[in-house]
Amino acid sequence: MFKQIQNWFDERIGLTKVIEEFNGERIPRRGGWAYTLGSVLAFLFTVQVVTGIFLLFYYVPYFPIARNATYFIKHHVIFGNILLGIHLWGAFTMIFIILIHMARVYFSGAYKKPREMQWIVGMVLFSVVVVLGLTGYMLVGNENSWWTINVLDNVASHTPFIGGFLRIIVKGGTETSVLTMQHIFAVHVWLLPIVVIMFIPIHLFLIRKTGHQGMALEYKNSKLSDDDEKKWQHPDGTVPFFPDQFYKDMIVALGVFAVVYILAVYVGAPIGPMYRPLALNFAPEADWYFLANEELLKYFPGHGLIIFSTFLVPSIGFAILFALPFIDRTKERSPFKRPAATVLGILFLLLLVYLTLIGGEPKAPATV
Amino acid sequence: MAKSSEESPSRRTFMMVVIGLISTVIGIALAVPILGVVLNPLFRKRDIVWTKLGKISDLNLKPLDPKFVPVYFRVKEGWSVNTLPRQVVVVKQVNGDLLFFSNQCTHLGCPLHWIPARQKFLCPCHGGMFNITGQVVGGPPPRPLYQWVHKFGKDKDTVYIQNKFKDNPKDRGI
Repeated sequence: MFKQIQNWFDERIGLTKVIEEFNGERIPRRGGWAYTLGSVLAFLFTVQVVTGIFLLFYYVPYFPIARNATYFIKHHVIFGNILLGIHLWGAFTMIFIILIHMARVYFSGAYKKPREMQWIVGMVLFSVVVVLGLTGYMLVGNENSWWTINVLDNVASHTPFIGGFLRIIVKGGTETSVLTMQHIFAVHVWLLPIVVIMFIPIHLFLIRKTGHQGMALEYKNSKLSDDDEKKWQHPDGTVPFFPDQFYKDMIVALGVFAVVYILAVYVGAPIGPMYRPLALNFAPEADWYFLANEELLKYFPGHGLIIFSTFLVPSIGFAILFALPFIDRTKERSPFKRPAATVLGILFLLLLVYLTLIGGEPKAPATV
Repeated sequence: MAKSSEESPSRRTFMMVVIGLISTVIGIALAVPILGVVLNPLFRKRDIVWTKLGKISDLNLKPLDPKFVPVYFRVKEGWSVNTLPRQVVVVKQVNGDLLFFSNQCTHLGCPLHWIPARQKFLCPCHGGMFNITGQVVGGPPPRPLYQWVHKFGKDKDTVYIQNKFKDNPKDRGI
């Protein structure tokens, strides 16, 4: 019966061949577990899309109502707390794994020629996912959301030349209003997910086009010198993507999903109190991935310097990350043979961790 | 029958030009209304209203003792009329002059509170500090506190506030 169905499709469109071609891709053998990070991200994104779609059955993007709608999903909809929890913890896990994925690619030099575009597409995906996280945080409509919208809008207003316009366009006016929430909503559920959905296939297509070129570890037995382009075309051993690599992908996906699920059920998504524009003393808490940036805002006091913390430092940092394959153009891939890049990478990670940790501390000076 | 592109190079060029032109026309025709929709907020006039704050004599103001008075603006935003609750910080100076500050930090807009023991407005977000005259005395804020546009009624006691700050060319805050 199954065979007949298969034959029916094969006669018309050669389906088996298409699937075999897709699944038969040879993957370098040694680093198999390190290569599961990308597919676990694709998996997590799918989970985000699916949970997000069904959260929309109840969510209302209107400022006085949004927080109560989210509260209703959590406390009154059957298993709504699990769905909301997966959406939140899935997002956190996704950003965390993107950072590990980027670090893996950085330290193994996998962004080097011919993979520059691969890195840039990855950076686009990373930036978009972070903005998705931020906008999601604003959509909850609680006190944190309200003040975060105001703070980030003011950050945007310090962009040189276009800052004032940018702020008004994003907000839909000068005040935080119904339009603000509606804009953030449209960006969070349509605009940015579509960008991600467009860029993931490009990311995958580029891997197949550029070939393996993975970590130096895969070429240990090669007798060619590092400068030889040919060296990076034939890893020592390869395995087919399906089922060898896919099997590892699924195991990691299950592990990550279990963690997300347990966090969703037992920790859940905090809703927080209703927003109060009349608050006298409230500091919105940024999500963990934004704390390093948040900490930066405390430095560079005074007129004229504010632009350093709101615009220059973050955007120059991002520009350097984007341009990484064009800054570091050596052919060396092993992290041990390019100590400068490795040490700089570790220092940068330590700085991020340090800023995140001190950014997470209570900010208000003693309120007597 | 018309020639195919393989038979005639000029025909090929012609087809490519037509493809390019059609794409451009459709692209521009779509981009114009989309840009209009996205940039629309830039061309909207802000809804500025006068709102009664209350009588100064009811506040029992003492010098160097700021009073936080909420004001509720009814403002048209997009397609709806909404209430914007905002804080007005009324400060009486030693010489009797009145100042009407917003309690928004001029750094990034977090809500300020008054600490009597230190005689300072403090921002909980990034540690900005202002003294009673609204001047920055610490932290990252780039300018003094925003002051609401205000006027006195005929009785010289009732105060009306506008949802607009003085000396704020870029319309920041609120």
